[in-house]
Amino acid sequence: MFLRIVADSFGRRPRHKLLTGAALALGMGVATAALSVSLDVGDRLAKEFRSLGANLLVTPQADSLPLEIGGVDYRPVNAGAYLPEADLPKLKTIFWRHNIVGFSPVLEVPIEAWSPASKTSFAPSVVGNATLVGAWARHTVAVPDGTTYVSGVEKTNPWWNIEGKWFDERSRQCVAGINLAKKFGVKIGDDLNVSAGDHSHWITMKVVGLLSSGGPEDESVLAPLSVAQELANKPGQYRKLYVSALTKPEDAFAKRDPKTMTPVEFDRWYCTPYISAIALQISEELKGTDVRVIRRVAEGEGQILTRVRILLWLVTGAALLAAALAVGASSAASVIERRTEIGLMKALGAGSGTVGFLLAAEQLLLAFVGGGAGYALGIVLARLLGEKIFGAAPEPSLIVFFVIIALAAVVTILGSALPLHRASRIEPAPILRGE
Amino acid sequence: MADRRATNRAMFWRIIRRLLGANRGRLFVMMLALGAGAAVTAALLNLQVDAKRRLTKEFRAFGANIIVTPAGSTNLGDNSGTIQEQDVARNIRDVGNPSTVAAPFLYFVTSLQKGGDSLLPEQRKQVQVVGAGTDLGAALHLLIPGWGTSQLGSWDEDITAKGHCFVGVKVAEQLQIHDGDMVELFYGAHAERLKNIRNISTGGDEDSQVFIELRTAQQLTNMSGRASLMEISFSGTPQEMMRFQSALAAKLPDAEVRPIRQFTEGEAKIYSRISGLLTATVGIVLLLTGLCVMAAMTNVAMERKMDVGLMKAIGGSMRRVLRLFLAEAALLGLAGGLIGAAVGIFLSIGLGKAVFGVAARPRLIVYPVAVALTVIVAILSAFPLRRLASIRPASVFRGEA
Repeated sequence: MFLRIVADSFGRRPRHKLLTGAALALGMGVATAALSVSLDVGDRLAKEFRSLGANLLVTPQADSLPLEIGGVDYRPVNAGAYLPEADLPKLKTIFWRHNIVGFSPVLEVPIEAWSPASKTSFAPSVVGNATLVGAWARHTVAVPDGTTYVSGVEKTNPWWNIEGKWFDERSRQCVAGINLAKKFGVKIGDDLNVSAGDHSHWITMKVVGLLSSGGPEDESVLAPLSVAQELANKPGQYRKLYVSALTKPEDAFAKRDPKTMTPVEFDRWYCTPYISAIALQISEELKGTDVRVIRRVAEGEGQILTRVRILLWLVTGAALLAAALAVGASSAASVIERRTEIGLMKALGAGSGTVGFLLAAEQLLLAFVGGGAGYALGIVLARLLGEKIFGAAPEPSLIVFFVIIALAAVVTILGSALPLHRASRIEPAPILRGE
Repeated sequence: MADRRATNRAMFWRIIRRLLGANRGRLFVMMLALGAGAAVTAALLNLQVDAKRRLTKEFRAFGANIIVTPAGSTNLGDNSGTIQEQDVARNIRDVGNPSTVAAPFLYFVTSLQKGGDSLLPEQRKQVQVVGAGTDLGAALHLLIPGWGTSQLGSWDEDITAKGHCFVGVKVAEQLQIHDGDMVELFYGAHAERLKNIRNISTGGDEDSQVFIELRTAQQLTNMSGRASLMEISFSGTPQEMMRFQSALAAKLPDAEVRPIRQFTEGEAKIYSRISGLLTATVGIVLLLTGLCVMAAMTNVAMERKMDVGLMKAIGGSMRRVLRLFLAEAALLGLAGGLIGAAVGIFLSIGLGKAVFGVAARPRLIVYPVAVALTVIVAILSAFPLRRLASIRPASVFRGEA
């Protein structure tokens, strides 16, 4: 009988139920979309922030102080310490190896450069001082676990703009900074001679690209790391390593000194991708290094990510609130309008409890159907949103499904509770008389 | 004639009053749906406008994003080219906005040693470091995100006072200089004894530099009024930044104004992502909030067959009946909107405080917009009543349909 009454209520007024269901589905759809996007957005934005480039800088521990002004090091050549290039694959063996987006070793050598092409019969070619930056462009690293990994300045300095193409690491090619190219009168395809200190020995490289970085690199020559090592006479060594890593914004826990933590806390800290934990893991792998967090990048990122995340949770909260109120209102309306029916049921001998139970069951059924439909709708919406903004759709998550169904149930029951309570006090006689 | 019209109007309002008062439960439900919609609309609109503006401020955690260098100079180290710092600073103030921060830097290579207690000459370790003369207050603000009272301990002590300096951590490690120690700087025949307020750590080149007051650096190097470069932190949308940059470049023909691409490009990208995300989410939430409210309202409206049937039975034309219901919906929308939007704006003030630590400034434009949207949604949701035009009064009263 119970089921029959419920089925009859749906069958008798399909349009009415459809409308209430539609309101429910729409509301829950918004809630689903907002929830899915908020759950996903942290990771996506963290990736976007990697367009700021490296957030960790690795230097030799025993290094003398660099006398760097405007990107030019005024230390005498060969002063200071170097690091072995052969250690670099170890970077991909640390605990958070998958969070390392890219890394690039750098060796800077002060050089004299001249372009044979700028020489005319009247004037000798321009000779000038510059810095040669030896780096990886697109270097394949063989990781100890047997896989390979491609990394280089393209990943650590994504804002660098290359006109032409990057140098090929195996050949004598280079990329000239845009200002340097102007100064020496070199174009793409020209040769550039460079020598470190001693004029009798020089290396001729072909310029294959022009770099505009907006920084001191515009005044320098970028060449494969091996060329820089040859010029500086430091085979297999580098001086600075830039690492770009995906991190979790630092909270109060991350700011504590790891030395004061209990072993359990330390494990938790170590196994969270905080930038300080990643820095420690890198210095454990690469011996004799000093790993520093580039604070401008790391802290700026952390601060903004935290803010945006709170902001999105708030928008999600607002969406949930609006959906809940609209759904509650519509289920309240559907109970209010059924006073006659309630009066009739009570006249026929149903107790307030039975009537309430019946209506609640009906509302719950509607909530499950509407919530399910809303979830499907929301997933589609979240997909559209995610693809439009980040070019990648968030994964549908089961947790969101349960949250949405539970929310739909709670909201409809709450929305119906007040009118149901009032309905239970209805006197059947006046209602049936039509008063 | 005029008399009849007046009576008609009086009747119209009387019916509306009765329609609204007839069922208090229904009235409450409609107001709740409309008010909630209006509150969310107002809160989100207000927050969105405010959040975008504040985001550009948040980006300043990255420090400087524009740099002014002498035109044509390629070598900052030997100070072959310098800029007139006061001239540049004045121009920045002229074209910038109030939150623009600029700091001049004058770089020089100097010898540094830890200051001794006695005046007796004694052998102490000396290192060559890069000294940077700067406006200490502004420079530290740019270099270290979130630099403020909390980091400095006591901000009361005037850090920009002459005779103070900040030593980078790498230098400090080599010479064992601690916060509060005295250091001695040598440049040619000049020497300067300064107090290290604090070791600073940025993870960049600054860690191996020493920061001193610009005037002191200018005296030391004999370069009064000059600076090697000027770093500027400009907060604004990418378009505003472009405008600022070209305006400044036009005013400074002798200097080169260029963006620090690492941050300007990253910022522009992230800003467009976040603002796109915010706009899209808010847009969808608003649209669906409207739809939800409409669905809830329509649900209520469908129940009014009896009213429509009665009105038609006593001779009301469908147009007049519809006008009655539309007027009722508009009134409800107006009331719900006025209350809901006010609630929403107060809500957004609190929300702004929760997110950015500063209360969102209420924008007055948001209020009428939210109210208007609510009224429109309310009127739209009354339109399905048109379908009741086909109702035959007799069948309604017989209790058939």
